[in-house]
Amino acid sequence: MKELTVSSDAPGQRLFVLGNEAIARGAIEAGVQIAAAYPGTPSSEILETLAGVAKELDMYVEWSTNEKVAFEVALAASICGVRAMASMKHVGVNVAHDPLMTASYIGAKGGLVLLSADDPSAWSSQNEQDNRYIAEQGYIPVLEPSSVQEAKEMMADAFKLSEQFGQLFMLRSVTRIGHARSDITLGEISRERRKGQFIKDRTRLVYTPREARINKPLMLERFEKIKKAVNTLPYNQLKLASGAKLGIIACGLSYSYALEAVNWLGIKDKVSILKIGTPHPLPEELVIKLLTSVKEVLVAEELDPFVELHVKAIVGERNMPVKIHGEDLLTRIGELSTRKVTEAIAKLTKTKTPVDFANIDKLEQETAPLLPWRPPALCPGCPHRASHYAVRVASRRVARDYGKEIEPIYPGDIGCYALGYNPPQEASDTIICMGGSFGIASGLARVVDAPIVAHLGDSTFFHAGIPPLVNAVYNKANITMVIMDNSATAMTGFQPHPGTGYTAMGEETVLLKPEEIARACGVKFVEVVDPFNLKEATETIEKAIRFEGPAVVVSRRLCAIIEQREKKKRKEEVIPYRVDQSKCNEKCNACIELLGCPAIIKEGTKTVIDSSLCTGCGVCAQVCPYKAIVLE
Amino acid sequence: MVKEFNILITGVGGQGVILMSELLGKAAVTDGLRVRGSEILGMAVRGGSVTSAIRIGDEVYGPLIPTGKCNALVGMEPSEALRNIAYLSKSSRVILNTAVTIPFTVSIGESTYPSLEEMLAKLGKASDMIIQLDAAQLAQEAGNRLTTNIVMLGALFGTGQLPIKIATIKESIQARFPAKVAPVNIKAFDLGYETCQQAVK
Repeated sequence: MKELTVSSDAPGQRLFVLGNEAIARGAIEAGVQIAAAYPGTPSSEILETLAGVAKELDMYVEWSTNEKVAFEVALAASICGVRAMASMKHVGVNVAHDPLMTASYIGAKGGLVLLSADDPSAWSSQNEQDNRYIAEQGYIPVLEPSSVQEAKEMMADAFKLSEQFGQLFMLRSVTRIGHARSDITLGEISRERRKGQFIKDRTRLVYTPREARINKPLMLERFEKIKKAVNTLPYNQLKLASGAKLGIIACGLSYSYALEAVNWLGIKDKVSILKIGTPHPLPEELVIKLLTSVKEVLVAEELDPFVELHVKAIVGERNMPVKIHGEDLLTRIGELSTRKVTEAIAKLTKTKTPVDFANIDKLEQETAPLLPWRPPALCPGCPHRASHYAVRVASRRVARDYGKEIEPIYPGDIGCYALGYNPPQEASDTIICMGGSFGIASGLARVVDAPIVAHLGDSTFFHAGIPPLVNAVYNKANITMVIMDNSATAMTGFQPHPGTGYTAMGEETVLLKPEEIARACGVKFVEVVDPFNLKEATETIEKAIRFEGPAVVVSRRLCAIIEQREKKKRKEEVIPYRVDQSKCNEKCNACIELLGCPAIIKEGTKTVIDSSLCTGCGVCAQVCPYKAIVLE
Repeated sequence: MVKEFNILITGVGGQGVILMSELLGKAAVTDGLRVRGSEILGMAVRGGSVTSAIRIGDEVYGPLIPTGKCNALVGMEPSEALRNIAYLSKSSRVILNTAVTIPFTVSIGESTYPSLEEMLAKLGKASDMIIQLDAAQLAQEAGNRLTTNIVMLGALFGTGQLPIKIATIKESIQARFPAKVAPVNIKAFDLGYETCQQAVK
């Protein structure tokens, strides 16, 4: 028997998958032909899954240089009548925002779906923005799944709805959908493959003020139709309990928490529940039905009170005698849980909670001081650790010339190297957004008199690092830009990018080099170093900082994880380092305090290297003042 | 019919936590059970804390285990089990690998690591049944230290509480590994299973 996979044409069969695989399956079932994305947690596995089956299913799949381009690629396909999608994490939608707002004026010919992977609790993100507001701003209807199975159904349906109404649709996923696991029942796979047709249509496709004015009312008409239609979509469901005083409006994943909560409290038949699968636009008829049947309503939704505000507007407009709760009991901070929803409902219904939460909290609080801090760290042998070290040593040398109190500033960026912000390296002074390091550096150079040494990774450089690099050149910003090139988008799972020489579908392509781009952009100081040669790297970075005007150093070494995998394939042995105890000054701890490598540990007073973790990079041996770190 | 059975696997990146939940999930689906679960993936490979929930049953909807509702907690590392104490209740089974993994923050003096006794005392306040085993040692006995997670999986089944058939999880293990290493993994499973059964008695 052939093993069942996400590409199996086996309707009715059950498969255990990750939420993001289910979303990819939904797109496969809809017959998506074009999929583009930039990696970002918790969205990356969607495109990875599609890339893995693209050739077999006759689809085109690409990792684009950033989310804006990814969306434009999908939009173009839709304009030509082909089903297309772009997937990205929530902050990626910010990058795609520009074309997105006009795309809704254009409407969709081929089904067009934007997958926004929001990250409540900001598990792997710089903020926890709620992208339903972006959708609202662009009149983009939103589907929000309550389960992994529904995520698949909605993704498949989104393409059809997009074509039916001629409008771009958003599927809002959250971390606990995309990174949830569940059994799903497979549906039929559409084998329809369309040939794209570009029909010149100035009024629809060329946006000057005239077309904006023509198309906005047309978009509003489309949106009004969608507003009516959502009342009968299967994703919105109203279950009225007779005599119920409390109603729950549960949006997306919150519905699963609400179901568990009412079961846990044993009041399943005593509350009315409105399940919301389309937070934007809301199914107003269903909302009004609920509002007229109860005295109080609890709105449960992930992050901001988006549905809540719209429900309150309905109540206010009609002057209805019903009290709306939501963020007063559930807060807008962090992801929801069965417990949070249970406590809110218990409070409103004056029911006793099934578990003594206060007691559990007390035990948890007592336990907290015992727990060791275990942040994710740069891997043993990670080249970024060496790059950070070289940057800091070089910057401090130059800072001394600026004056006694002057400290260098290190604008940082999004990627693995951000893990160096933890002690002991504390290598980033700002981390804000993709490519932000170079832009922030340019601004700092105008107002602060100190060495300013920014860093970002190779994939981030291609994504959003080039415009601020050009800006630094054009505006003569006296900054140093270090590109920590490990030839991978490592943080999100080693996806290929323009600097790797191959594409999402595994084809070979040109390999772009950041140093060549920097030179072409007019940077006069461009050098490439190997971070594992600490002396040379440090000296070169020092020269770059002393250089008058913008300078670029590419610090290049393959990601340690990829390097280890390749060594294993080549059957090459890893030779770890060890500490020669006869030479080590146990009180020195320089290797630990300067590098923070997980392979270097204290055993009592002794400093030792865990040979199972050491990759043999040799950086610690270069740092040790006693030459006590030697090869096995 | 299974209404709700919640398994929480806790550990450190690199210990094979995600693989364990994949094996459990697949086996449950094979047995015709409903499965939900969730984990934090992004940072797992970099030595941070990892937890993965697997929930089985007809009354399970959400991907996360509610506070105090865990039936079985598999602790691949003692302090990581302790970190998730809020999920336990008196009737929870805790299967604990006693081998510690000390984070680098202890080496650089940014935090301290508690003694095993302290950790067991706290866990004992939350749950009445803690089964301790040196899973790494048992894995070594089975023939490969890398099978520690499979030893723990065996121990989880050794509690006799799981709604998944033992034959099914073994099939799932057999299918997951190349023919060369599958027998070592089955042996690791059996060692974990027997050790736990002994302890439960």
